[in-house]
Amino acid sequence: MKLRLPLLCTATVLALATACTPGTGGGGGGDGKSFEFWSFSAINQKLTVDAYQAKHPDVQIKLTEVGSSTETAQSLTTALAGGKVPDLVLIQGDNLPQFVDQPQNFVDLRTLGADDVKGDYLDWVWKQSVAKDGEVLGVPTDVGGMAVAYRTDLFAAAGLPTDREAVSALWPTWDAFIETGKRYKQATGKAFTDNAATSVFYQAVNQVSEKYYSDDRKVVYGTNPQVKAAFELGIKAATSGITAGQSSFESAWSAGMGQGAYAAVSAPSWMLNSIRSTAPDTKGKWDIARIPGASGNWGGSYLAIPKGAKNPQAAWNYIKEMQSPAGQLEHFTRVGALPSTPSVYKDPKLTDGKDPFFSDAPTGKIYTESLLGLKPFYIGPDSAAIGQEFLDAITNVEQGGGNPATAWDDAVRNIKTAIGE
Amino acid sequence: MTAVTATLTPAPSAELPPPASPRGRGLAERLSAYAYIAPFFVLFGVFGLFPLAFTFYVALFDWNPIGDQVFIGTDNFTRMFADPRFWNAAGNTVSIWALSTIPQLLLALVLAHVLNNARLRFALFFRMSVMVPYITSVAATAVVFAQLFDRDYGLLNWLLGLVGVEPVDFVQSTWGSHVLIATMVTWRWFGYTTLLYLASLQSVPRAVFEAAAIDGAGPWQRFRHITVPSLRPVIIFTVVTSTIGGLQIFTEPLLTGSGLTCGAVRQCQTLTLFLYEQGFGQFEFGYGSAIGVALFVMVVAIAAINFVLSTRIKADR
Repeated sequence: MKLRLPLLCTATVLALATACTPGTGGGGGGDGKSFEFWSFSAINQKLTVDAYQAKHPDVQIKLTEVGSSTETAQSLTTALAGGKVPDLVLIQGDNLPQFVDQPQNFVDLRTLGADDVKGDYLDWVWKQSVAKDGEVLGVPTDVGGMAVAYRTDLFAAAGLPTDREAVSALWPTWDAFIETGKRYKQATGKAFTDNAATSVFYQAVNQVSEKYYSDDRKVVYGTNPQVKAAFELGIKAATSGITAGQSSFESAWSAGMGQGAYAAVSAPSWMLNSIRSTAPDTKGKWDIARIPGASGNWGGSYLAIPKGAKNPQAAWNYIKEMQSPAGQLEHFTRVGALPSTPSVYKDPKLTDGKDPFFSDAPTGKIYTESLLGLKPFYIGPDSAAIGQEFLDAITNVEQGGGNPATAWDDAVRNIKTAIGE
Repeated sequence: MTAVTATLTPAPSAELPPPASPRGRGLAERLSAYAYIAPFFVLFGVFGLFPLAFTFYVALFDWNPIGDQVFIGTDNFTRMFADPRFWNAAGNTVSIWALSTIPQLLLALVLAHVLNNARLRFALFFRMSVMVPYITSVAATAVVFAQLFDRDYGLLNWLLGLVGVEPVDFVQSTWGSHVLIATMVTWRWFGYTTLLYLASLQSVPRAVFEAAAIDGAGPWQRFRHITVPSLRPVIIFTVVTSTIGGLQIFTEPLLTGSGLTCGAVRQCQTLTLFLYEQGFGQFEFGYGSAIGVALFVMVVAIAAINFVLSTRIKADR
């Protein structure tokens, strides 16, 4: 709904440029100090940029918040095709594979010294930005981890416990989560959670050991029982009447969050910032409980340097300093994004950090715990497209009156049409 | 350089025809005509013809903007004709076009007839005000209408609720989203069409209406037998232009539904939106171009119908 038009115009202009300028320009030629940085909105990169500039007053950073993570990846693609690229770009984990597939568009960070810092990061997170010949395209800035954010005041009104341990105990499994939703609905007559697609299916499908691709990188979304089980949980939630039918980040979802139209929402660590900025008036009414099934990861981002960057060295200096374990820990204290550097997971700054917006919940502790015991899966070039079709199928059952019995087959057929396999 | 050489060689100048000679002036004049129209054709060549030709070219490739470009012949077109998403988008486009054009033209016809009435007070004020929606930004229109039609917080559903009707999910249901988009298109364009009709009506001598009235023709008969027939050419014109516009409808569905698919089951995804999704969402430039070519063919076909119809009408006169 918001801010699509300016982006659209940019994309069109860039597309015109694409027609005339094949390939990308050469690098170098910068002053070694200033660089241009594309980020997506709502994750507050500005704070980190400001902190860096305060330490390095001679460095000029031009930060552009392009739009949502998907819009940023789309603009990056057009920019790469057109040849006029930023020096540094933030890419969301789901969008990364399509770029890893075309490594010639990026600076191989090994040439700048990536191998020296590799050991600082979670191994499975690092691996996702390594291309087929070993090129390293991105440095992970954060990981998601998963949890459920809930409204203590609404839970109390429904006669449910409000203490985060007691609430976590309400839902050891997703089925128990849906049962809790039914209890809430019965007590209040209102919807329990925002929607089935993201709050149930997308969380559940990110807890698997193998997702849309097998470990040897074959497409298995249609035959993987873990995906089907997650999908069925989504359908079950969609048909149980416990959802408000509000798609995440749409205007009605934002309005509903402020007005208490739903009491629980999926909350990977990066979502906390969205909740804070979407419904600032609800400060102190939220708390964070464990995710059903206890562990899993959703999201996380990477910093990459496009090949045509004017000033790759300045961009790398920024990455090296701000994404070091200490830098990520500091970023966590500023915006709450969970570090991808496990060495700080026991640091008191992280474990003792309390978030007043969420009733002083120890967010660092909750999210790092959700990453323990995690079984990483391979994310492929079409993972985002596949996920979107599954989400759409569940949304259709929930909001558009789609038939739950045929939803799985419809989704699989639509994915086949979309990605061709 | 050449100019300098010319001044240094006096001999040929005597033999040159005098500058004022009819032949020389004729040549300059003939050339100047081309110079006057050149800017358009240069711009058209760069921004119109080249992208068009390039689209046809790209449509024959599996074209990854940041990867390889593989020649695949007409595969994109075979794929398109077998793609249910393409036919869904085509169906949506036609449905939204019909839902917007027919009410819009009827409304404009009636309004033009009323505004042409000699006894209407403040006629100029009303004639001006029908243009207000037209000059409103289409993005602003879409945002406002999407809020009016919202399922949970919309004014329309609140009013429906007062009379006991269940809230309608305009965005998520197929017909609802079509009605919503068609309403926006109608609202935006009816004033423009009204003024076109009105301008055409003004050329009909008022005496004709007065004579009919004296002969006992009521308002309906005057509308049926004078207004409509005298507007026939401009009606054909508006039908054709709104059809071409309807094929290219983009902003309203984009800002109404959720994202480039315009909803979970692409219930309001139009052809241009599908083109944009494939080209700039999925970055399948080749496939997107193929859809663009299909759209181009459709628009040309309709323009041809326009040409045939308008020539025939001229011949009738």
